[in-house]
Amino acid sequence: MDRPQKIINIPEAVNKIKDGTTLGLSGFSYMNPPMTLVREIIRSGIKNLTLVSGPTSGIETDLLIGAGCVKKVVTACVAFENVAAIGPNFRRFAEQGKIEVWECDESIWHMALKAGSYGVPYMLWGGGIGTDLSKLNPALQEIEVDGKRWLKVPAIQPDVTILHAGIADSFGNVQFPPELFLGRKFCEEALARATKGEVIVQVEKVVPNEAIVANKERTILNNCWIVKSRFGAHPGGATGFYMPDLDHFREYVEAVEKERFQQYLEKYILNPKEPTTYLELVGINKLLSLEYY
Amino acid sequence: MPSDYSVSELMACIIARDLSNADQVAFGLYAQVGLAAAAIAQALYAPGLQIRHGLRIERGIELNPPAWTDKKFTRTPWLVEKVESHDLMLTLGNRSNPCRFCNVFFVGGMQIDQYGNTNLIGIKGEKGKMKVRGPGSIGTSSIAALVDKCYIFSFEHSKKRFVEKVDFVSVVGHDKGQGGPKWCLTPLGIFDFNPQGKMRLKSIHPGVSLKEIVEKTGFSIDLPQNPPVTPLPTKEELEILQKIDPEGELKALDRQVRI
Repeated sequence: MDRPQKIINIPEAVNKIKDGTTLGLSGFSYMNPPMTLVREIIRSGIKNLTLVSGPTSGIETDLLIGAGCVKKVVTACVAFENVAAIGPNFRRFAEQGKIEVWECDESIWHMALKAGSYGVPYMLWGGGIGTDLSKLNPALQEIEVDGKRWLKVPAIQPDVTILHAGIADSFGNVQFPPELFLGRKFCEEALARATKGEVIVQVEKVVPNEAIVANKERTILNNCWIVKSRFGAHPGGATGFYMPDLDHFREYVEAVEKERFQQYLEKYILNPKEPTTYLELVGINKLLSLEYY
Repeated sequence: MPSDYSVSELMACIIARDLSNADQVAFGLYAQVGLAAAAIAQALYAPGLQIRHGLRIERGIELNPPAWTDKKFTRTPWLVEKVESHDLMLTLGNRSNPCRFCNVFFVGGMQIDQYGNTNLIGIKGEKGKMKVRGPGSIGTSSIAALVDKCYIFSFEHSKKRFVEKVDFVSVVGHDKGQGGPKWCLTPLGIFDFNPQGKMRLKSIHPGVSLKEIVEKTGFSIDLPQNPPVTPLPTKEELEILQKIDPEGELKALDRQVRI
């Protein structure tokens, strides 16, 4: 019998996500957000998502919040580095009490996902003691064990996780390209391994299984669903392929701040229903200018 | 602010002089000052110092990690000695391990208080809401607590930033029984903490007056009568800065300075 193929299309991928799903998302600062799937989620009108992203999240999280898809976010930060110190929709929705924030830092976020991946109910962690994180987040508890204070961090498990990565084969083996610095694996693996259900990875390039085997040390995940999505992290960057489009980030931030976010949604998400239409809108000159030398 | 030196370069040099061969430096977002400090230290003061990803000054160091810049050309993927996954930070918990994530870290804050508590979470508003939702704690709460040396740096020294008590604590100061930051570096001076855990002026930057520090700090600060003047970058330090920062990215950060 033939080994099962794992390549699916965008609607098949997004059908696995429902109202109320706890959704894991890649995206660290500007890098590797699964934007093709994020845009399809918005078009599908999915609501009440709990996002587990980051732990230093970017536009994938901010955009889903702004589009009204999100009930709660599990993240240590939403920011656009030099473009916006605080994610503009995250800031607005949090200030208005329209989203719940599972307050944590990056290590606490990782401990929660480790507990999820190891199938244990909680982990004890030595950081964050004495801060206000446990006051703002009732899921975190400071406890004493043998005279020492620890933070009790409960397990977090996404129902479904969507990631953007560089390369995969049609059997669902996922790799990153060799241009790894600060980008090989931010948290893709951590998210995927904590997930209860499906892991869906949109990739720049699908390669033969032989190419995966030839670089086996770069395989970070296996048995994932694969969605082919060239330039699918735009406006974010993709490790080894292209840089973030900071002009687009600026346009986005300005749209939110000047109450033109609905126009942004229509222009870039609701009207261009196909990824190719979106890429045409961004323009071939712009896209090619983002590729690394 | 005196115009004949760069505050960001000065901060990098001050930290560099305080680093040692035993140190392992991690840098995160807004990394330039910490990374420059580590590079200067490796070149001049502590050749055994470890930098995240195994960066080495002999091979050259790019100041702007390419993961979050729009630089089109980068050599950095080929300058590192090892590849790290992000959850390596959890090895911070094994505090005597020689290859743990780091023992030196840098934090900033929307608010910084007299004990060195910092706040990236937000500014309190009415009825339990936040007037300003901050970006979030990023890596700071745990890393700062588990390293041996943590430095606060702030490009703004104002009453708005330096408050008596932070609205929310994202990193603990010296009043929580959990250690606290070593120094706080600002455009006006370098501050350490006195035996009561309160912020104290350690050295004052050239051209800055004590009156200015008092006027721009929102709490009563421990001020020695004749504080030393912060020593400016040396010729050797400036040479290293020229090498790692030919485009003057640190000087460009000075434009963010508000005092």
